[in-house]
Amino acid sequence: MNAGRIMTIFEKDFKEFTRNMMLFTSILLPVLIAFMYGSMGDSQQIPSMLIFLIVGIAFSSILTSGIMTMMAEENEKNTLRGLVQSPASMMDILVGKSLVVTLMTAVSLAVSFLIMDMDMSWGAMDITGIILLGLFFLNSGIGVGLTVKSVATTSVYLLPIMLIFGFTPMIEIIIQDETHIIRQAADYLPLYQNMAIYDGEALVPMLILSLWVVLSFVYAAWSFKARMKDA
Amino acid sequence: MTAVITVQDLTKRFGSERALDGVDFEVGRGDIFGLLGPSGSGKTTTMKILTGEVEISGGTAEVLGFTDRDFGRSAYVKQLGILSDNSSLYDRLTVKDNLELFRKLYGAGRHRIQEVLEHVGLTEQRDKKVSLLSKGMKQRILICKAILHRPEVLFLDEPTSALDPVTTERIHDMLLTIKGQGTTIMLTTHNMAEATVLCDHVAFLSNGRILDQGRPDNLRHSYKNNKIHVTYRTGIIKSYERSEVNKNILETALFDSNVIDIRSDYPSLGEVFKKVTGRELV
Repeated sequence: MNAGRIMTIFEKDFKEFTRNMMLFTSILLPVLIAFMYGSMGDSQQIPSMLIFLIVGIAFSSILTSGIMTMMAEENEKNTLRGLVQSPASMMDILVGKSLVVTLMTAVSLAVSFLIMDMDMSWGAMDITGIILLGLFFLNSGIGVGLTVKSVATTSVYLLPIMLIFGFTPMIEIIIQDETHIIRQAADYLPLYQNMAIYDGEALVPMLILSLWVVLSFVYAAWSFKARMKDA
Repeated sequence: MTAVITVQDLTKRFGSERALDGVDFEVGRGDIFGLLGPSGSGKTTTMKILTGEVEISGGTAEVLGFTDRDFGRSAYVKQLGILSDNSSLYDRLTVKDNLELFRKLYGAGRHRIQEVLEHVGLTEQRDKKVSLLSKGMKQRILICKAILHRPEVLFLDEPTSALDPVTTERIHDMLLTIKGQGTTIMLTTHNMAEATVLCDHVAFLSNGRILDQGRPDNLRHSYKNNKIHVTYRTGIIKSYERSEVNKNILETALFDSNVIDIRSDYPSLGEVFKKVTGRELV
């Protein structure tokens, strides 16, 4: 990897991101939801479910969707080949793009938490958990982005990722019976591990979350290898 | 001739299909080499092998001292300029932003953007979004992108395909200037007029095999018919074997006011291609 080339890709993709209305407006989604729920009452009493719903929406709609769309667009318009044929390595390209979506997600989340006037005194475990969750969403987006050939196809993958991994806490509203098999299965989804860490648990949720990160990394690496191997 | 590109017995199979079958050629330093053939003849596959996009199945390929195992490595691609059949630009960005991206990736000097834009006569379009440019302008910018870092070897896959004659001529002038600066150019085309104007050396590719190669004039000479054609005002054309044309026939034709054209049968490169391959160039 080369820092100069990563920053060059970052600059290019930052311009592209801000000029692509579909991507640029995605950073508004968590902010709008935060605005809607911001006046729900005492900020110290905001349920963890709501906090992590916004985190999940931000990560799935900006981090995953952003990197997925950017990669798919490069594929669709044949610009990726030009980058790959330059001295930039595929890792330079992926890291440069990931930095753009990470920055946009961070800005969106920061604005959302400000609107909700949230107490942000998170501990090291919470922050580690959030970083792992971010890696999971990023890897998933990279994996799909390297696989699909057009922007239109990304929605086929994005929708289930958003519903299952981004909107996980909504399941509590849809299925209120805690013994329901779907509710029990959902307990192992990544976002619930962050909620458990936030509520004081540490070891088991962190292990489960790490496992999700490993799985998503394997998927991204597999897609990467498939993409690099031409005829 | 110092060979910059050497290809020997190159073979490429896609499954059971043989796309290239024992291809051999050499390209000398500073030459323009044209790989000519109809669609599906293997031109793009050859180009893709040399630019590291496709692996070879057999034979050897060497470019600038790099063997096919090195193709795709950063040190190798830095020496190349590539315009492939599906190269494209970032539509939402300006011409300058597009070129700036590749200037930085290749570590070329800041002045190069201005230089290459002047070279192609597009300095005034520098701050325009790429989406607002015509197809011909985009193609010229793509060539700018390919030569920005002063590559040793320039690979161009159908550089003027589907462009209007004026733009095509501009690009030809550009390529001759680039060649004049010492760059070796390998291009694929199915446009024989283009090959005649640009190439120092051409190879005819058909069904994955090179059927003949050489300098365009030499090829035309070696495939000429030994015939002289005399065209009359009435539309009648009389053809004579060169051996049977004597001073009498020639003088009579020259001073006959009904004769409008006398020419020897010197085939165009397209006609030579058809003779060699038995195929039209489409």
